[in-house]
Amino acid sequence: MMTGTMPLDDVRIIDLTQTTIGPFCTRMLGDYGADVIKIERPGTGDPARTMPPFFNDEPGIERSGLFLFLNTNKRSVTVDLESERGRQIIRQLVENADVLVENFAPGVMGEMGLGYEALTEVNPRIVVTSLSNYGQSGPYHDFAGTEINLYGMGGNMIASGDIDHEPVKTAGRMVNYHAGYVGALATTMSLHATEFLRDGIGEHLDVSVFETATHSIDSRLGRLMGYQHSGNVGTRPGRSAAVASGVFQCADGWFLITGTATFVHLVIKMIGMDELLEQPEWATVAERAKPERIDEFAAYLVPWMLERTKSEVRDACEAYGILGGPMNTIADLLSDPGFESRGYFQEIDHPTTGAIKYPGFHFTIHRDAEDGGPMPARRRAPLLGEHTDEVLSEGLGLSDDEISRLRAERVI
Amino acid sequence: MTTNGSSGTQKLPLEGLRILDFTVVWAGPYSTMQLADWGAEVIRIESLQHFASTTRGVMARPPVEMVRAQSWLGYPDDDAGERPWNRYSVFNHHGRNKRAITVDMTRPEGQEVFDKLLRISDGVIENNVPVSMERLDVTWERVSAVNPNAVMIRMPAFGLTGSYQNYRTWGNHMEALSGHPLIRTYPDLTPEYAPQGVPADAASGIGAAFAFLLGLRQRRKIGKGVLIEAATAENFVPLLGDFVMDYTMNGRVWTQMGNDHWYLAPHNVYRCQGQDAWVTIAVENEDQWVELCRVMRMESLAGDTRFVDMESRHANRIELDSIIGEWTTNHQAHWVMNRLQQVKVPSGVVMNEKEALEDKHLHERGFWHPLTHPEAGTYQYVNTPWKASKTPNIAPRRHAPRLGEDNEYIYKEVLGFSEDEYRQFEETGHIGMDYDPSVP
Repeated sequence: MMTGTMPLDDVRIIDLTQTTIGPFCTRMLGDYGADVIKIERPGTGDPARTMPPFFNDEPGIERSGLFLFLNTNKRSVTVDLESERGRQIIRQLVENADVLVENFAPGVMGEMGLGYEALTEVNPRIVVTSLSNYGQSGPYHDFAGTEINLYGMGGNMIASGDIDHEPVKTAGRMVNYHAGYVGALATTMSLHATEFLRDGIGEHLDVSVFETATHSIDSRLGRLMGYQHSGNVGTRPGRSAAVASGVFQCADGWFLITGTATFVHLVIKMIGMDELLEQPEWATVAERAKPERIDEFAAYLVPWMLERTKSEVRDACEAYGILGGPMNTIADLLSDPGFESRGYFQEIDHPTTGAIKYPGFHFTIHRDAEDGGPMPARRRAPLLGEHTDEVLSEGLGLSDDEISRLRAERVI
Repeated sequence: MTTNGSSGTQKLPLEGLRILDFTVVWAGPYSTMQLADWGAEVIRIESLQHFASTTRGVMARPPVEMVRAQSWLGYPDDDAGERPWNRYSVFNHHGRNKRAITVDMTRPEGQEVFDKLLRISDGVIENNVPVSMERLDVTWERVSAVNPNAVMIRMPAFGLTGSYQNYRTWGNHMEALSGHPLIRTYPDLTPEYAPQGVPADAASGIGAAFAFLLGLRQRRKIGKGVLIEAATAENFVPLLGDFVMDYTMNGRVWTQMGNDHWYLAPHNVYRCQGQDAWVTIAVENEDQWVELCRVMRMESLAGDTRFVDMESRHANRIELDSIIGEWTTNHQAHWVMNRLQQVKVPSGVVMNEKEALEDKHLHERGFWHPLTHPEAGTYQYVNTPWKASKTPNIAPRRHAPRLGEDNEYIYKEVLGFSEDEYRQFEETGHIGMDYDPSVP
């Protein structure tokens, strides 16, 4: 249990979400103190439990790294939503909850008798956060979509990559996670409005992955504005679109640097060619912005880079205030001295995996000792149905007999 | 009283909150944009003596060669105009609904103005390397001493402590260090071709706005202000959570995936008829695979041993992609998307900016909303990123503030300085609407 005060420690969330988008949303809320009651299908649970990566590459419902990552600080309760008794349990849980989050296809909640209007009859205070690919309305609302489709439609894919090659996506499930993150912001904003504007009356939130991507993924917003102002449709840039900028080879890998006309004088100093700044071709920003300077400067920069390691170049960039970063692998990241110096990665123990490292908190709430001190460690993801008895008996006041009967009927 | 209300009778959730904004470039301004969109009075604190690059433009007075070479900078008609800092498209977008004042905080009277404003504000948000904020003496110690109820969000790239605390980066360099571009870049090209997009900045903006709301709740609970440290790198790494877990559980390192999925196939982008036209297709199960084959009129492919299940399709994905790509080149991207969606196969047009602005779904959802800026013109702005059923959902209400546009309102009405004092601030270079001529 949480120790000390956390911002959301008075908020109870009924979490009907599964796979990735919704679980990321409730993970954010759980990390900052909310009591997240995750509803899972009896027997099989959240489909993310059957998705890789698996611990030691062996599948199993308590072995998915994806599930373990997305479901820290949650309690798992199994309820069969196909049964009327199961739906009744959800309505009973909603009576004493502040928020319900779901990411079913639009319309499914209504078909189950759990639509927003029905839930307000049980609890008018409830904030219902619906996350979906394209939103609850509009011509595409029932379109099928995965991360790559949504990034292509909403994000900046058309300008991602190289002009002579195909557009490429963001890594992994980034667009989905971003939408989940927006869902957490939306939910918290709505809790604020419910309390301060509407005297305890909740509302229904409609978050779409398509719109959250169009709203800014990968600088999309900048391009949407740039296009309207200049009339230019964005394209994928070439390998190096500006002077002293791009990805260059080092002794042990690759390094991204951004000189451009504005900062190239710093790069000139870093590589020890100060005398260049006295030549008319390099003396002014206007001169340095000319396209022919790109290749001219590469002739100086390329050999300098090749003689140094990624970490040496990073150190030099930091010393000269130059924008640059090593092109790391995930293995590099886990041993990076900067992240290490902050103790960023967190070790979480789990019956299947033992103690392994997870990404740390998105942000840190600084608490004085009297408010609990450093933020509490994350609780590991729950085993399937680990908290069913606890929630049904303490939360709903069901007797042991009733719980056994529900289990025999496979409702839970 | 603060002023950033809805035009109608319905109030906005954050009306009455005042936030002092020291954010630059994109991640920070995108966070205060969220808060201003929902009603907070966000006051940008800027200086006529200092130009934060890539905020109101790359430079205050960019040479015409630069504007031409980097047309994507987005000045109206590629013309930076007399006051380029008021015409930069990106700033004008994330600046909507905010206010802007000028003050030189490197001088004592500038510090006094800040103190006065801080005493009547609810919080401060900034995204600079710590050393820059120390130079202005905007630290948690100072802020909490002046206003013990202030919520402060600090979002330097690598945190307030640790060995990288003053390591200056943009989102793309921080992402490179965190492992993103090396995973997303092309399988068959050197990393020189890696995309330079920055999902981290958008996530930092959302995260810091979320953090601010949590700070407000924490303040109510503990009866005093709170510092929240939102290092943008730490906020970003969890978006690579799948990769981190596969490494810490199994020691596996994924690189240069391009459009490959870990296990789904087909899963790629395919060229279509027209200029730089593409469609994405992703098949999640056998039903979708059979439907795709039917739509392509290649039913026999479904029984082909190379493609008979997900595993074999994934193993033979290069061959498979070339077959699908040959089919799509004969069709328009919108036709492919609509045809495949009829049979529930996940597919989507790779939309350029023009298509996004004309998209019927976004229009029907009220995603765009026009707004006029006095020095830049009328454009379509993005509305709120979600719909709330009982809250006003019109985000673009007031144009982005021109440099120093709200000096009169803040100095006189909010802070109560007299006409004489105001003139004094003007004469001493605190107040104005033009950068000092020494600023490039």
